[in-house]
Amino acid sequence: MEEIDELLVNGKRVDGRRVDELRPLKIKAHVLNSADGSAYVEWGNNKVIAGVFGPTQCLPYHIASPLKAVIRTQYLMAPFSSPEEHGRSGPNRRSIEISKVMREALEHVVMVEKFPRAMIEVYVYVLQADGGTRCAATTAASVALADAGLPMRDMVAAVAVGKVGGEMVLDLNYIEDSKGSADMALAMTHRNKDILLMQMEGILTKEEVMKGVKMARNAIDKIHELQVKALKDVYGSEIEENLSYMLEM
Amino acid sequence: MESDVVVPGEKIADKPIKSFYTYVENGKTYSTVVGLFRNGKIIPLNGPYFPEKDDLVVGVISEVKIHGYGVYLATPYDAFIPARDVVRSRFDVGDIIVANVSNVDEVRNITLTNVRKLGLGRLIEVPPVKVPRIIGRNNSMINMIKEKTGCVIIVGRNGLIWISPKGKVSLAVDAIRKVVKEAHIPGLTDRMARFMSHESEL
Repeated sequence: MEEIDELLVNGKRVDGRRVDELRPLKIKAHVLNSADGSAYVEWGNNKVIAGVFGPTQCLPYHIASPLKAVIRTQYLMAPFSSPEEHGRSGPNRRSIEISKVMREALEHVVMVEKFPRAMIEVYVYVLQADGGTRCAATTAASVALADAGLPMRDMVAAVAVGKVGGEMVLDLNYIEDSKGSADMALAMTHRNKDILLMQMEGILTKEEVMKGVKMARNAIDKIHELQVKALKDVYGSEIEENLSYMLEM
Repeated sequence: MESDVVVPGEKIADKPIKSFYTYVENGKTYSTVVGLFRNGKIIPLNGPYFPEKDDLVVGVISEVKIHGYGVYLATPYDAFIPARDVVRSRFDVGDIIVANVSNVDEVRNITLTNVRKLGLGRLIEVPPVKVPRIIGRNNSMINMIKEKTGCVIIVGRNGLIWISPKGKVSLAVDAIRKVVKEAHIPGLTDRMARFMSHESEL
């Protein structure tokens, strides 16, 4: 990959960020009426919406498991999400791959063993794309699953790191992603920082990978804070006090 | 009072507390759902119905089999009524029934007992976690709605509610929807009392 020099000038990136700075991130939970759980994420110029259904009856029957719920995920880019996507949206090699890696990340946190024979559906649509959509999608899916009231061991958040202008940077945008020399998407649980998704393109040394993971770990904490805030905001600050009788019922 | 809403993965205790909505790791307890943490327990604010023995459920007959009936319960798991339990009555597809859960096995096959057929009426679906709120402390909420509307209302733990055709049915539906919408906001009982007396005068 040929690199453009101007991607990193005096420690400043193309959009003026520092190397370890996230793009502005906004998360809102419970945005859809018809889905059991939903979330909307604006991450820089990325706009992603996620809807969750479930647990529901598992269809087709042959994918059902008597031990756990099956998670089905669908990541899709809207035709208007980016210039490249125009005219070729719909399930394609790339979106099917992202659906798969996202499903595998979510299967580790959702307590699927509580719903034998059932199915949990996660739909994530990218309305506008600017690099790092799989991270935004995983972050949104995690909030939507929690919003649906599905039991989870922990929340998942995701962020990309990469090498741009010879330095490790956090949260790559589209230009850095396509013109930089390496890009690594990471999804982690918040508590233990278990890595649930790791995909890399380009070349990094062992030290650079370790540095990238460390940067991502710090960023995951910040993203997680916003995820928690989004979920708590749904119910506001005023909560009925005398609900204790619900415990006995 | 400060909000005590917890989210999945949030630590609620440094000692292990085993319960349906908690997860214990390294001797510490974490919440697994979005809920309220009160008196060492978690009240979920959203989520699916987990069938338990003896629960009162409302369902719709979905299948007539040789040896019994399949029942839709608005959950991923259909229930079953063994024919030997209901020798005297016959059901058709679409009949609304109320029953008790007699058994739930490890793959969530639900068996029903004590089945009674409900006649024609309005069937509505609400989130199962709101059911205790609709019933209220010592049935206070549901009794108020019944009294003001003159309807017979049967609330299933699975979130299906049957309302008899006699009485102010649409007012009962509105009232239940209002409880669901405002379940966690303080002062619900008073607000509902005002709502019911205002609406029933109209």
